[in-house]
Amino acid sequence: MSDTPSEAPVKSILPEWVRGPQDFIGGLAMVAVALFALWASSDLQGMHGFSFGAGTAPRMFAVLLLLLGAAVALMGVLKDGPDIAAYSWRGPLFVSAAIVFFAVGIRPLGLVVSAFAAFLIAALGSHETKWIEAIIVGACLTLGCALLFPYVLGLPMPMFPRFLIQ
Amino acid sequence: MELFANLAHGFGVVFQITWWSPSWLFGLSVPISINILMCLIGALVGTLVGVLPGIGTIATVAMLLPITFGLPPVGALIMLAGIYYGAQYGGSTTSILVNIPGEATSVVTALDGHQMAKQGRAGPALAIAAIGSFFAGCVATVLIAVLGAPLTKLALAFGPAEYFSLMVLGLIFAVVLAKGSVLKAIAMIVLGLLLSMVGSDIETGASRMAFNVPELADGLGFATVAMGVFGFAEIIRNLDHGAEMDRNLVQQKIAGLMPTRKDLVDSTPAILRGTVLGSILGILPGGGAVIASFAAYTLEKKLAKDPSRFGRGAIEGVASPESANNAAAQTSFIPLLTLGIPPNAVMALMVGAMTIHGIVPGPQVMQKQPDLVWGMIASMWIGNLMLIIINLPLVGIWVRLLRVPYRLMFPSIVVFCAIGIYSVNNAPVDVVLAGAFGLVGYWLIKHDFEPAPLLLGMVLGPLMEENLRRALLISRGDWSVFLSRPLSAVLLAIAAGLLVLAVLPALRAKRDEVFVESEG
Repeated sequence: MSDTPSEAPVKSILPEWVRGPQDFIGGLAMVAVALFALWASSDLQGMHGFSFGAGTAPRMFAVLLLLLGAAVALMGVLKDGPDIAAYSWRGPLFVSAAIVFFAVGIRPLGLVVSAFAAFLIAALGSHETKWIEAIIVGACLTLGCALLFPYVLGLPMPMFPRFLIQ
Repeated sequence: MELFANLAHGFGVVFQITWWSPSWLFGLSVPISINILMCLIGALVGTLVGVLPGIGTIATVAMLLPITFGLPPVGALIMLAGIYYGAQYGGSTTSILVNIPGEATSVVTALDGHQMAKQGRAGPALAIAAIGSFFAGCVATVLIAVLGAPLTKLALAFGPAEYFSLMVLGLIFAVVLAKGSVLKAIAMIVLGLLLSMVGSDIETGASRMAFNVPELADGLGFATVAMGVFGFAEIIRNLDHGAEMDRNLVQQKIAGLMPTRKDLVDSTPAILRGTVLGSILGILPGGGAVIASFAAYTLEKKLAKDPSRFGRGAIEGVASPESANNAAAQTSFIPLLTLGIPPNAVMALMVGAMTIHGIVPGPQVMQKQPDLVWGMIASMWIGNLMLIIINLPLVGIWVRLLRVPYRLMFPSIVVFCAIGIYSVNNAPVDVVLAGAFGLVGYWLIKHDFEPAPLLLGMVLGPLMEENLRRALLISRGDWSVFLSRPLSAVLLAIAAGLLVLAVLPALRAKRDEVFVESEG
């Protein structure tokens, strides 16, 4: 269900008659999601008699989204609209990398290591980062979270790397 | 009289004292009032996010949703509510002093508020904003208490057909009052409805669009999606802008908070009008606090004898929007508490918080959970009182916080969110999902799709399906039931009318006019 943002400048590949590329692509993406949902819910039971099956509502919403997406794309053809906005790669890349690293690391490495590392990875996402101050703040934040979540909020989670504890 | 009994009950809940004996105190017990504490934390956090630009209310509530998991439900909701109305206070502070609205709701406050500050009248501007907010907050609290019971009674008389139509009306309202393209907003709602279908079907138990992924069997976590689409996406988008935001602080000392007699005379009617307008717009689904402040400013400008004063430090231009946004922030709880229908994205998150704690929102909440409802209402009044203290004497501290650079703030938020989302189910997959929705949210922003309606759709999805199912089951498959039952027909007619009006060019221009104030 997740469409990753396209990095390429789409404008160049789009034909002349697309006057609002932003709406056009946006609408098409909605159509794609709707088609995917229709396919994904195709194995579910539909109406039986006058009571809804498990698949009725999902398919209904999917068809609605299909129509709306098509309408949005059509607006992109009929009306002048803004171009595709420029995507930057640095922020999305490092923020996602930090999130994924944390998700993978939390079980084997524990909160302290994975939170601190995730902080530093995320900090790579901005070219303004100053490393000494980032390391200090990251350490303080890690300490704060290591106290807040397990002790104050009572949500237990692994703290230290598994291989150190054993 | 019932009203007073209820309010008294609410205050009783808020002031309830529990004995807290954590293990590290070696058996000692400390008497604390959890709810007062939660209210204070909420008000503080709310002021904080209101002050800091780049962190919105919706994102904050989404981020804190997971950590309320370990709290008692009443305290959790009191805290989240505090964040919402607290942000309305905090936002005005930076608007006035630094000309940086920390919140969308105080964009218009910056127009005249900052001019007043430049003229050396920052103190009165802050004071009027706080007084206006406090007054509006008190009125809204009473309004919630008064309207609560009758609306609940009405809602209980609703059948499934009426409920379904009411939800349609609510969603249409949300679209019409929001900014941007109506068509795209409806598409977002439907996408939200579709996302809510993932997971097992309540009625048949069949697994829907889950692809045998065990983590999806219970559906997409509401907190996960909200944090992705609002929290992570907002951070990525802010990094896009790259450049540090320009933060020219007004350096001069704030001399004297007290407004003059003339200020008070000028602003009293504005506060009253702002409160009324805000209360009404808050109850209506859709705009909530943002549209209330814009509309209030437009109204003041229209009514003023000399409209040219606006934008040059007119005190009405501070008093009215600030009262309106606070009133709206609070009255938007009315549909949530009485009908179980969230009128805007923050309220949708409150529904998420309730669900986390196993409370099914709806008219029955008022009867089954009087502690929750009345405790929350009473806490709002106490919270407003706290906010006056937090904001006026401590204003210097908040302004100093503006110096925290975003380059340190954003990695902290990323890590905090990641830990929070993990702690809900102890599931790493949830963290990855939230990250994926962050990218989806970023894409949506790039294509000018508003993520707020998506959240509304996602919350209302299961409710709409259930009521549609039941309505059609009762009518034996006859779709005309929605039109043959008078109440339902009226609701749908209003919805259709609104939709037609919204697409008409004349009204569109009017609607956009309300929002252009900020660019003027």
